[in-house]
Amino acid sequence: MNTAKRILILTGIALIACTMAFGVGYALFDEHQTLEGMGMYMAGGFMEAASGNMGAAFESLDAYGALSQEYRNEVHSHGHWGMLSLILIILGLMFDRVALSEKNGVMLASLLAFSTAAFPLGVLLQIGPAAGLGEILSVVGSVGMIIGLLVAVFGILKNTPNQTD
Amino acid sequence: MAQTEPSSIKAPDPLASNSQRLLTIGGILLVASGMLFGDIFAIFVLHPNNARIGEAMFAASQLIPAGDADGILAHFMAIGGYLENRGTKVDTHSHIIHMGYIALLLAMLQPWVALSDTTKRRTAWMFIIASILLPISIFSIHYIGLAYSPFEHIGWASISADACGAALAVAVFIQLWGLWKGARNNSDSPPTPKYLGDNNAAARVLLAGGLLLLVSGFLYGAAYAAWSQFGGGTSEVAILKAIVTQAAASNQDLLGAAFGDFGNYQMYRAINVAVHTHINEMGILLLLMSFVQSFVNYSNVVRNRWAKLAVLGGFGLPIGILLEINFGIVGSILADSFGFLMIVSLMAMLFGLLRHTGATDAQKGASA
Repeated sequence: MNTAKRILILTGIALIACTMAFGVGYALFDEHQTLEGMGMYMAGGFMEAASGNMGAAFESLDAYGALSQEYRNEVHSHGHWGMLSLILIILGLMFDRVALSEKNGVMLASLLAFSTAAFPLGVLLQIGPAAGLGEILSVVGSVGMIIGLLVAVFGILKNTPNQTD
Repeated sequence: MAQTEPSSIKAPDPLASNSQRLLTIGGILLVASGMLFGDIFAIFVLHPNNARIGEAMFAASQLIPAGDADGILAHFMAIGGYLENRGTKVDTHSHIIHMGYIALLLAMLQPWVALSDTTKRRTAWMFIIASILLPISIFSIHYIGLAYSPFEHIGWASISADACGAALAVAVFIQLWGLWKGARNNSDSPPTPKYLGDNNAAARVLLAGGLLLLVSGFLYGAAYAAWSQFGGGTSEVAILKAIVTQAAASNQDLLGAAFGDFGNYQMYRAINVAVHTHINEMGILLLLMSFVQSFVNYSNVVRNRWAKLAVLGGFGLPIGILLEINFGIVGSILADSFGFLMIVSLMAMLFGLLRHTGATDAQKGASA
């Protein structure tokens, strides 16, 4: 296994194991509470409106919106880490077909590995105090992933196929 | 018709060892059952459930002018149940398929996992059993609820799902440990497995289709994220505020319009996320299946036909989902049909792989 393959496959497996552990922890300690909170805030908005207090109703709906965004970010981080890690391992397995020099291959593998770790982390960080850093990481990670994938596809297409049938 | 020769027993193939067979066959069955579950879920649960949520919310809004807080709470309790029903079905569908993908990838990686055959086989069993129990546990969450649970927020089904998730993480960590051991020992590096250098016509069709889908899925996701961040129209909270405002004023026409906006908002979001997800998932599946084509023991013509049908299903499924925006049920029927086509293609490939294992086992028996 050459260096580029090693980077892609080991990073991919490590990230899958980490996102599984994250999923278990999240489901145990946060998800149910978050979903209950979302339901309470939305119902609260309607109930406050029923009591004629529109200010409190709007506050409750704003809180619902913030919690709903938080929930989406957490679920998307978990999902994207898992799926991008799968793509990382698949690219690692087929890296012999990518027509790149060893140095460029290592650079491409490093870009893809960094982007796979950074994009979902950026999405997750957007719900905390480091939201600015999270936005930067998610944009850099997604651009890195798209560029990396396009380069990998170009490298695979450049590789003349060995016609076996 | 040229028949595919059974691969040499010594050549590493994705079904060479017990752990590889278990992970490959288990992985394909998991993916196929996850897709079948998705088809059934979309027809019988998703659409009726969405309608019930809309109806319950509308009924709750009708109680605002009368100040009936208890009635509103009762409707939202019902909505919570509908959302949990929907959410656990979506999670069941996605987790079965994702565990199938990981099983297939672990099967491909087995030659580099520097652990004993017994450890690899036990880890593979652990992964497959946990992969089966995880979605069953998630599915049961809605039905078991908090019955006899010692905890305030999570019931026994959730605890079981978490335990399965932990077992899966442990199985993957063991594989990572084996890969790490193998990667450190360069001198003993096994030869590149035969399936990875595979370039037959069926593999090329699946490879090209998979890569095209993945690139499209990435670009679609980026475009949707940019649109929803910078130009996504009215936000969900703004629509909800309009609903409570119009309900409090008993303005039925504007309330109806606000509910129309809410329905459209939910539909666009759900469909766009589903399209993005399904493009990528179909891309990954096609790439995974491209690795095993040399071992799908059919004639080249038949093997290529199944590969092309799988590519057709892979493109057709997300296109069908996208068409639901303008064509409603017609798009759903298309998506379900292409999903079913993909399931049939997968099962045909699995059958071809089983023919291959039969042929290699017979060869082994003859030479023993």
